[in-house]
Amino acid sequence: MSEAVVPGVSRSAALTRQPAFWVVITLLAVGAVRMSQIAALFLKSYPLATVTAIGMFALLAVPFWLFVSELDFLEREPAGLRVLAFAWGGLVATSVSIPGSTALDNLIAKLASPDLAAEWGAALAGPTVEETAKTLGVVAIVLIARAQVNSVLDGIVYGALVGLGFQIVEDVVFAIGAVQLAGQGDQVQPVITTFLVRGFLAGVWSHTLFGALAGAGIGYLVVRRDRGRGHRVGVAALALLAAWASHSLWNSPLFRESLGDGAPALLAVLLFKGMPPLLLVLYLVHRAHDREAAYYVSVLATVRDPQLITEGELRALGSGSRRGAARRHAAASAGRRARAAVRRLQRAQAALAVELSRATADPALPARVEVRAGEVRSHRAVLAALGHPEAVEGARSWRHTASTVGTAVVAVAVVWVVLSALGGG
Amino acid sequence: MGRVTRRQLTDLPGILSLPAALTLASILAALAFGLPALDRAVPAGRPVASGLPYPVAAGVTVVPPPGADLDVTGTRPGDDRGTVLFRLGPVRYAIEVEPFDGDLTAAAVRLRQRLTGISGHRVSGTQLAVSTAGGLAGVQGGYTAGDRDGRYAVFVAHGLIIEVMVTGDDVDLEHVLPAIDASTRTLRYETER
Repeated sequence: MSEAVVPGVSRSAALTRQPAFWVVITLLAVGAVRMSQIAALFLKSYPLATVTAIGMFALLAVPFWLFVSELDFLEREPAGLRVLAFAWGGLVATSVSIPGSTALDNLIAKLASPDLAAEWGAALAGPTVEETAKTLGVVAIVLIARAQVNSVLDGIVYGALVGLGFQIVEDVVFAIGAVQLAGQGDQVQPVITTFLVRGFLAGVWSHTLFGALAGAGIGYLVVRRDRGRGHRVGVAALALLAAWASHSLWNSPLFRESLGDGAPALLAVLLFKGMPPLLLVLYLVHRAHDREAAYYVSVLATVRDPQLITEGELRALGSGSRRGAARRHAAASAGRRARAAVRRLQRAQAALAVELSRATADPALPARVEVRAGEVRSHRAVLAALGHPEAVEGARSWRHTASTVGTAVVAVAVVWVVLSALGGG
Repeated sequence: MGRVTRRQLTDLPGILSLPAALTLASILAALAFGLPALDRAVPAGRPVASGLPYPVAAGVTVVPPPGADLDVTGTRPGDDRGTVLFRLGPVRYAIEVEPFDGDLTAAAVRLRQRLTGISGHRVSGTQLAVSTAGGLAGVQGGYTAGDRDGRYAVFVAHGLIIEVMVTGDDVDLEHVLPAIDASTRTLRYETER
């Protein structure tokens, strides 16, 4: 059996029959009540600002959600569990963290000094409580749907979604806090400023990233059964520590004054504090994805039926960039419908690979494999009718390179303008 | 490759999912209720030197009222902003300093709107001019917060806003307000930091 993936069964046991499921649901319900009370207070005092904040940050969540959901293209997590992870972050972790972080910050002031709490309270109290509460969300998913956490990448995805839920709700709370602090009544300007700072500039390096780090550790703990339990617990603890350290670095007063207030200095601080965890997560995602892809490609390679997958498609399916290149090649040679058809074919091939892996684990599932194989053949027929029978990558086009470079330049320019507009310039 | 059952998907203690879930809930409870309980159990008051200026933040100092304790949970000093919280029995005496680019009128409007933005808070009475021994000019007024009364004062100087909030019930306030007013008049911006 591969070390990278532990095949799960398709929906073996009903969640509702598990006592742990009801514990988790109860926690979610309590969190929902608590956060609803806070939202009601906000709506009563600042209705326009609250609705605006919820709307803006909900929109911000969409690209994050789509990106994180796509990370595991080959074996997408069930929508219900993705929603559960997001809800845990937004309802449970937040409602626990609000009193917990405040209390820990107070304890730092009491047991050490108010000066230490003022300088380092946010860097010590917040990460300690919040990272623990968020990581427990991934643990909760393992408890109720262990079969759906069968690769390190699954842990990363669930952890990132828990972090995303936390980030969005926390941003709304901060936005309304800014409205209250501004003392201008029910105004949206502080919401927009908070959106630019916390959502746009800091969003990439925020809780989604920290949650992904901790989630990778839980995924490793559950999946890597070839390693001893002590080793896996150590790796999970190390991942949680990395999430804590990243969060702590981000909240810390380091470099706050030494680099000045200009836009270049603010950009340098953003990169210096945010880049290390971002690079670490990108490395983990890349490694976990490649390991998972290698496993599923090896499963599909046993099919030896070019109607289901060709040699070229096997190569393309194993890499996110090559899957994208295959779609672009289809668009260039046969139009947008071919691009969409290639995407559907790749999705169907991935689903077939997952069913095949489950069928080797559970021989009672050949019927589902046949259903998936039928879907692949169907999409193959559509593609053939469009005059593009094989979903393989073409030659690298200069247009794509130029588009990538142009997008990066525009992104840096937009960040620069926002930093300057926020007083950095 | 053999048959993989659900139990075999991991070697974590699978039969313990309910106890594990309850353990998870207990950890959350410890964070949400245990830490606040511990926080309440540790005293927050610290004695402050009587008659000596206390540094609030950003070069602003104040001489605390006699008999006041420093509440470290509401005290966060800083180079450009900060807060201090004194307690005289059940009465809270808080001072907050932060950068501000408006004038005194704007500062007073901001503070009153912040007060009325809090559920149950209402500004009461008229607003009066006030000044400190160090030459800071400001305004002060009163407000109610449910069954508690409050006084506020606000000053603007050197690009800073200094907000003073005093809260307590009527009887307690009556006893300590003269001392707090005297303390507020000692607010000073130290140019030599």
